[in-house]
Amino acid sequence: MATTDSIPGVITPCARTGRGLLVVLAAMAQEQLESVLASLTDSFPAEDLLVASPDARPGNSNSSLRILAAPAADACWTLTAAEFANAYPLAAKNEARAILMLGPESCLLASSELRGLANAVLTTPADLVVPSYDLPPRAGLVNSAILYPLTRALFASRVRFPLAVDLGLSLRMAERMAGAARRFVVSNQGEAPLWPVNEATVAGFAIDQVEVGRRVQPPPAGPDLNTILPLVTGALFSDIDAKAASWQRFRPLPSACDVLPEPQAPTTNAAAEISPMLQAFRLACTNLQEIWSIVLPPHSLLALKRLSATDAAVFRMPDSLWARIVYDFLLAHRLRRINRGHLLGALIPLYLAWVASHFNITDSGTNSEHHIEAVAAAFEADKTYLVSRWRWPDRFNP
Amino acid sequence: MHNILAAMLQPDTSQTSQPSYAVDTSIWHQMSDALHQSIYRVLSLLISILPGILALIMSTAAFVLIGIVVSAVLRRGLTAAKFDDRLARGRGNVNWAPSASPTALIGRVSFWVCVLLGLIIGISAFDASFATAKLLPSSLMPYLSRVVGAILLLIAGTLIARFLARSVLIEAVNAQLEYARILSLGIKWLVLVLTAAMVLDHLQLGGNVVDLAFAILFGGIVLTLALAVGLGSRDLVSRSLESRAERSGGHSAAAPATPTTAPDESIRHF
Repeated sequence: MATTDSIPGVITPCARTGRGLLVVLAAMAQEQLESVLASLTDSFPAEDLLVASPDARPGNSNSSLRILAAPAADACWTLTAAEFANAYPLAAKNEARAILMLGPESCLLASSELRGLANAVLTTPADLVVPSYDLPPRAGLVNSAILYPLTRALFASRVRFPLAVDLGLSLRMAERMAGAARRFVVSNQGEAPLWPVNEATVAGFAIDQVEVGRRVQPPPAGPDLNTILPLVTGALFSDIDAKAASWQRFRPLPSACDVLPEPQAPTTNAAAEISPMLQAFRLACTNLQEIWSIVLPPHSLLALKRLSATDAAVFRMPDSLWARIVYDFLLAHRLRRINRGHLLGALIPLYLAWVASHFNITDSGTNSEHHIEAVAAAFEADKTYLVSRWRWPDRFNP
Repeated sequence: MHNILAAMLQPDTSQTSQPSYAVDTSIWHQMSDALHQSIYRVLSLLISILPGILALIMSTAAFVLIGIVVSAVLRRGLTAAKFDDRLARGRGNVNWAPSASPTALIGRVSFWVCVLLGLIIGISAFDASFATAKLLPSSLMPYLSRVVGAILLLIAGTLIARFLARSVLIEAVNAQLEYARILSLGIKWLVLVLTAAMVLDHLQLGGNVVDLAFAILFGGIVLTLALAVGLGSRDLVSRSLESRAERSGGHSAAAPATPTTAPDESIRHF
C-alpha cells in the first residue's frame, strides 16, 4: 500500500528522464549479494536495471545484469552520508531514471516488496519513497519515541521510519541528498546519518510510503544504547537546528492511514523487562537533578520526581510530559546550555522511562501503534511551545 | 667665666622635677622621625609609580573602548556579509545558536584581544616606571605575574573538574552504578586538590610542605582505593561488574533477535 505524503501547493512534479533504475547495494556477504541479485532479476527486466555494489565481482552468477563496482563504504547499520554522496554521481554518469538504495540485510526483502519500492519511485511523481516496516512491538523503540514523533510534528510527515535503511530516490532527490552528504564527507563525517524526509520536505518534494512487511533491521555498529542514542538524536537535533527556518512554517499533516496492526498479546516477562529501566530512571532522578535542572523547567522536574515514586506496575509517563522533555532537550541542544555529549547522555534514563511506560501501556492491551500515534499527536500539540521557546528562549518558563 | 661657672653650679630644676621627660622626648622624636621617613618613603614610592599606575589604567580603559568599537564593527560587517550563512554552507550541517555563532565568537575574541593588548601595554608601562623607581621590593613584580598565572590555573582546573565530574556522573548513572555521585564527587575533588597544589606550587607558597602533603594525600587515596577494591569490596565490585554485563546483554542497542524462539520478546531500541 502506498500513502502519498505530500504538501499541497509546494510540490513540483518530478520529470522522469533516463534509461533505467540504479540499485545501490550496501556492503554485504557474497551469498547475500547473490540472493538480492536473484530477487532483482525476478522483479525487473535486466536491461532496465543497473546494480552498484561495493562487493561486485566479475564472477557474479547473474551475468544478465549490469553490475558496477560502487566505491567502498564502511559497512554501517543505516544509510550514511558517504553512500548518498556516492550514489548520485553513479546515477548521473549512467543516466539512470531513479535510484533504489538497499541497506544491509536487504536479501530478506521479497521480490514483490522490492518491486513495490522501485515502482513507486519510477511510476509515481514521488521523489522519495520510504518503506514502512512491520516490526515487532518491542523493536524500533528510539524511532517510535523520538525520531517519528519529532519528524511528524516538525516536518508534517507521516513517514513511520525516517531513518529507513532502504530508500527510493528520484534523480533530483538523489542530487539534493548528495549535496547535503558532501558537506559531511568533506568534514570527514562520512558515517553520519542523513534525514531524507526532512530534506525532501524542505525542498518541497513529494514523499511516498510503501509497506514492505517484516524486515530484519541490521544491528547498530555501536556497542550499546549509551553510544548510539546520543549519536542518532544528536544528528537529528542538528538537522532540525539547520532547518529551523523551514519547520517553523505551518504545514498541514497528510491524512492518517486508518489501518493499524492488530494488538499484540501482552508478554509474560514485562515486569522483568521494565524493572532495570525503572531502576536506571530512579537512579538518574536522584543523581542527575543538577543537570536536568539546566535543561528542564521546574514543572517537568516536579513531574519526573513524582513519576520516580510511582510503582512499577502503574508506571505511566504522560505523552505531553515526554513531548515537553524532548523539546526542552532540543532547545538545550540548540542553545548549548551544557556540553552536547552530557546533554544527550542525560536523555538516556528519560528515554528508558518512556520505554518502560510504553511497555506498561501496550501490555495493558493498548495497541502499540495507537500509543505511538498518541505520542506523535502530543508532539504536534506542543509544537507551539517549541516554536515559542525557539524564538524567545529567555522568556519566563515555569 | 663667672657666668659660666654660675650656670654650671645652678641646679637643673627641670631635671630634678621631671627626670624622664628628656628621654620621652627623644623617643617621640625618634618615632616621629621614623614615621615621617616611612611616610616620605611610601609617598615617594607612590609618586614614582603613580605615572605607571595611571598608564596601566589609561591603557586598559583605552583598549577596552577600542575593543568595543572593533567588536561592534566586526559584528556589523560580518552580519552584513552573512558570514555565518556562508560558513554554514561551506562547512556542512552546522548551525549555531545566536549566542555562539561565528560572528559572535569573532566579536568576542577581538574584544578580549584588545583588552589583553591594553593590559600588556599598561603592565609594560608600569614595569618601566617601577624600574625607574627602584623602591618596591624586588620580588613584588614577578610575584604579581605568578598571581595572574595562578588565577588562570585555578580557573582552568575548576572548569576541568566540573566537566570531568559531569562526564563521570552521567556515564556512571547510565552504567547504573549506585555510587555514581560519590564517584563524580571523588573525581571533582581529586582534580580540585591537584589544582590547588599546582596553584600553591606556582605561587611558591608552602614550599615542600605542599608537595609532601599532596603526595601523601593523593597516594593515600589511591592506596585506600586499591586496598578497598582488593580486600574489602572484592565481592561488591565483582557483583557490580557481573550485573553490568548482564544488563548490557539485556539492553544492548544491537541485541540480536532470536527469530526461531520468540522474535517479539527481545528489546531492540533500533
